[in-house]
Amino acid sequence: MEEKINSLKNELDEVFLSFIKDKNEVKSLFDLDLLESKYLGKKSFIAQTLKNINDFPQQIKPLVGKTVNETRKKIEDDIKLLRDDFTKVEYDKKLREEKFDLTLPGRTLTYGSKNIISQVIEEIQEIFIGLGYEIAEGPEVETDYYNFEALNHPPDHPARSLHDTFFISENILLRTHTSPVQIRYMEKHKLPVYIIAPGKVYRKDYDVTHTPMFTQIEGLAVDKNINFGNLKWTLETLAHSVFGKDRKVRFRPHYFPFTEPSAEVDVSCNICGGDGCRVCSGTGWLEILGAGMVDPNLYKFVNYDPETVNGFAFGMGVERIAMLKYGIDDLRLFFENDIRFLKQF
Amino acid sequence: MKITYNWLKEFLDGSDNYSPQDIAYKLTMSGTEVKKLEYVGEKYKDIVIAQIISFVKHPNADKLSICKVNTGKEILNIVCGAKNFKVNDIVALALEGAKIGDFIIKKSKIRGEFSEGMMCSEKELGLSPESDGILILEGDYILGESFAGQTGLDDWVFEIEVTPNRPDCLSVVGIAREISAVTELNLRYPEYENYNNAAADDKFKIEIKDFKLCPRYSAKIFSNISKSKTPFWIRNRLAICDIRSIDLVVDLTNYVMLEVGQPLHAFDVDLLATNKIIIRPALANESILAIDGTTRMLDENTIVIADEKGPVAIAGIMGGKNTEINDNTKNVFLESANFNGPSIMKTSKKIGLRSEASNRFEKKIDPHLTITAIKRFEELLKHITGQKFDNGIYDNYLEVNRERLINLRYNKIKQTLGIDIKDKVVSQILEKLGIKNKINEDYISALVPSFRFEDLEREIDLIEEIARIYGFENIAACELESKFRQGKYTYNQKTIEDIRLALVNSGFNEVINYSFIGLKEFKFFRLDEENEFKNYIKIFNPLNEDFEILRTLLLQSLIDDMKNNIVKKINDLKIFEISKIFLKNDLDKNGLPIEITKLAVLISGRSNLKSWNSNERFFDFYDLKGILEYLFEKFKSKNGLFISNNEYKFFHPAISGNINFDDEAIGIIGKIHPRLTNILDIKQDVFYFELNLDRFIKKSKKEKKFNSIPQFPSISIDLAIVIDDDTTSKDIEDEIYRNGGKTLRNLRLFDFYKGKQIEEGKKSLAYSLEFGADDRTLKDVEVEIISKRIIENLSKKFGAKLRQ
Repeated sequence: MEEKINSLKNELDEVFLSFIKDKNEVKSLFDLDLLESKYLGKKSFIAQTLKNINDFPQQIKPLVGKTVNETRKKIEDDIKLLRDDFTKVEYDKKLREEKFDLTLPGRTLTYGSKNIISQVIEEIQEIFIGLGYEIAEGPEVETDYYNFEALNHPPDHPARSLHDTFFISENILLRTHTSPVQIRYMEKHKLPVYIIAPGKVYRKDYDVTHTPMFTQIEGLAVDKNINFGNLKWTLETLAHSVFGKDRKVRFRPHYFPFTEPSAEVDVSCNICGGDGCRVCSGTGWLEILGAGMVDPNLYKFVNYDPETVNGFAFGMGVERIAMLKYGIDDLRLFFENDIRFLKQF
Repeated sequence: MKITYNWLKEFLDGSDNYSPQDIAYKLTMSGTEVKKLEYVGEKYKDIVIAQIISFVKHPNADKLSICKVNTGKEILNIVCGAKNFKVNDIVALALEGAKIGDFIIKKSKIRGEFSEGMMCSEKELGLSPESDGILILEGDYILGESFAGQTGLDDWVFEIEVTPNRPDCLSVVGIAREISAVTELNLRYPEYENYNNAAADDKFKIEIKDFKLCPRYSAKIFSNISKSKTPFWIRNRLAICDIRSIDLVVDLTNYVMLEVGQPLHAFDVDLLATNKIIIRPALANESILAIDGTTRMLDENTIVIADEKGPVAIAGIMGGKNTEINDNTKNVFLESANFNGPSIMKTSKKIGLRSEASNRFEKKIDPHLTITAIKRFEELLKHITGQKFDNGIYDNYLEVNRERLINLRYNKIKQTLGIDIKDKVVSQILEKLGIKNKINEDYISALVPSFRFEDLEREIDLIEEIARIYGFENIAACELESKFRQGKYTYNQKTIEDIRLALVNSGFNEVINYSFIGLKEFKFFRLDEENEFKNYIKIFNPLNEDFEILRTLLLQSLIDDMKNNIVKKINDLKIFEISKIFLKNDLDKNGLPIEITKLAVLISGRSNLKSWNSNERFFDFYDLKGILEYLFEKFKSKNGLFISNNEYKFFHPAISGNINFDDEAIGIIGKIHPRLTNILDIKQDVFYFELNLDRFIKKSKKEKKFNSIPQFPSISIDLAIVIDDDTTSKDIEDEIYRNGGKTLRNLRLFDFYKGKQIEEGKKSLAYSLEFGADDRTLKDVEVEIISKRIIENLSKKFGAKLRQ
């Protein structure tokens, strides 16, 4: 039986070789029709073999069918390709007559826009999630305790006058910064604490450079063995990531009641490259955020041990970051919600 | 605060030369930020000292004169409009090219006469807001020299931001001390060695009622002060520092305040009712006519300076009109006092008056300054008038210890800053700051002086001093490893972000609005009549009436946004906001309001513009509902959503409802009431929904689980029925689902009709139903049985008829 199959295979190989030879001689569609009829037509070897398949012993019939069909498929494909070679020029010529204007506009799908404030928050959150921080939240209407007292602003503290506060009642107010989240979070969590807290804050101030509501992002890292060098590394990483690796970053000593030492952080001005221009008021630097080591006093409010625990905190204005990053020159645009502004981002 | 370079140099000794730029940089990098540095002399380029040698009347103009003016090098012809000069007067002459305001001096002809420059007035020189005629200089000046150089204006001005913890820096001396800490320069503190320290006689009595309110009150009487003008250089310094010149005595009090940091106040002794000064809380209903001409009502929280008749000054804030220094003043009572900071802060806030003096008192200045200031004042006055003032100083002072010993551990420095510095390095820094100290093995003991008593209380305060003088730039950045932590969003945060993205991807623009609105607006939308929204929180001290209350509904803000855009001819809007609303909550233990995160969605105008391949179409209610379904489908399942009728005053009564999730109402949806849009002058339909995101997210939270994909094909049938108009689509769908059982895979309404082709009061709904089973291919007959059951029940319960 194996002999029979082998002999069939030999015959098929010969048929195919002959087909290849004949194929090379084909010069027209007419020749191709003849070729097709010769190798696949009723009288062809392939058709005849399949027609008389019952002459083979029962066991090898499937193998015979498979073997023959393989050759038939090869021949069929070659013929299809050859036919396409002969017809495609004519076909294209016909299709080309159907003129079609590719330049007409497509069906409109309008895109929307995530608010630029949301985008900047998201960008900064992603950076810190990458550094192992979680996102924390807190109420926008706060008690005096969380907004001031537990942040080292006792009632008569002069730093309170830096915040023009909206009050609801004597002890309840609209938070003037996102820093209360620091206290609320530490009260409820043990070490280590690594959080970012974005949110709206309110100050009674309304002019070209102030809106009564704006957005801040607070950061807090409290652990064992955290020092000022770590704060510098973290904020340099942030500034480079938001503004670009080529920008210089500097830390200036400053004062905040709830950090000690405190710093303000500047990036080099991208408009003048540090030489001084109108945007940076001639200093070559643009202030982007405030930061510092958490004042040990705060740990007393949340029952941490100030002798063994260290940490840093920082806070930035989202609108300010957006203005510097995108060159927006008017703060009021953020809350006017002009669609032409929103759509740019 | 503004101070000048030359003024600072008066208090600094040293061979090294530091440019104004160097100083500004060093100050900024050690925590005293220099916001701006300007060369004052810039304005006075090409303005020189000159002398008038003769003048005649202008032949063609009555009001003008033609002057010959000597610049030391040449004689120039100057046409001048002023009348206040005479021959030999020394003047400030602007030569060709000088810039006066925006005006550049050129040689020109004025009414036919040649003029080669301009003689300037004080106003033109920017030295005083008003002036009468040109500036005539008195004293010794060198002709031809630059005006700025001869009058103290060849100087640099620093605009400095002093942080609230550093009252000691609110003076030239204080800033000089800071400079000495970060340069090789040494502080030269004035000593006034020749001062007569004798006590004052007891002709005058000073009584402090409460030393808490006034820890120290020093004063001196200066008698028979001869009339003199304030020297020009002092007036110029004050002008550079934005202080207006008044008269000699007042100018000197201001000068000394800027230099030493101690506010002074001068009374006309002869206008005081009695020879006794009392420092006391004001009485209820007491009032005072202040220097600014306003009568101020006082109360017991205000400290006043009084004679035996009544208040003569509001302590630390403003003097009284009746005892003010005036043209006839001969004898001056100079007050140099220390008042309670918080009390001054409260009063100044309450009466809305902040001054250079109150700003200093608020921040708690060193009581040791009172005497220094009096001595400095006297020195200047002596120098100017040539008089002597030998009587002594009154001084009421309940002395308290203002020195503090702090141990500063080296390991604490390392723990906080990450740098290993100790012994001499630390000791030197403290020394430069005026803090005496002693080196020990593991720590330094530091003695905080009086002028830093308020802000250096603890070890950490000293560490901060070390850090800023050592230089933040000298502390290396050090990576904070995070390999054992995983950062993440909470489920809520992630879902809100996903919702935001879903809306943005379907063409919405995200708006953000202020959290407050006006009460008028609130009432306008009739929210006071809606139980859900009426419990608003009022701001006690709002910015204005547009920002009076916190939002209980986001709708008004989005309508505002819409109006703002319509004004700019942007009429087609798809906007949303995710923000908190605030409701009054008396039950919360802190009395804090309830804060709920809401999603507000507003659409209005056209959904499609007319285009070459589509028609114009306006948004309708079902566009809005589609958004809602889209969100429900994405985050839970469309089947949980159900809109029920509920009338809100701000919605069209027939198109107004609640958004229900399973059985809980978690939002509102509707078309804005035409009455409102009319009043608001909006000429298009507005559709709006607002969803409680906190509840939505809580209810939609679910584990994601794999369901196998159906292996067997579905069979679809169409079903068109006619029912009463009152029957809702929801009723019909519920019934179909009930009867369809597990095999009903999907249901879609593909046609809705109301009109002539069917009976009045009826409507026609046509559904496409898709059946299938998970374990086999359904047979046609099975589907027929189910659909028959559906039709029977619809007919029985709702009188539905098949539409042929």
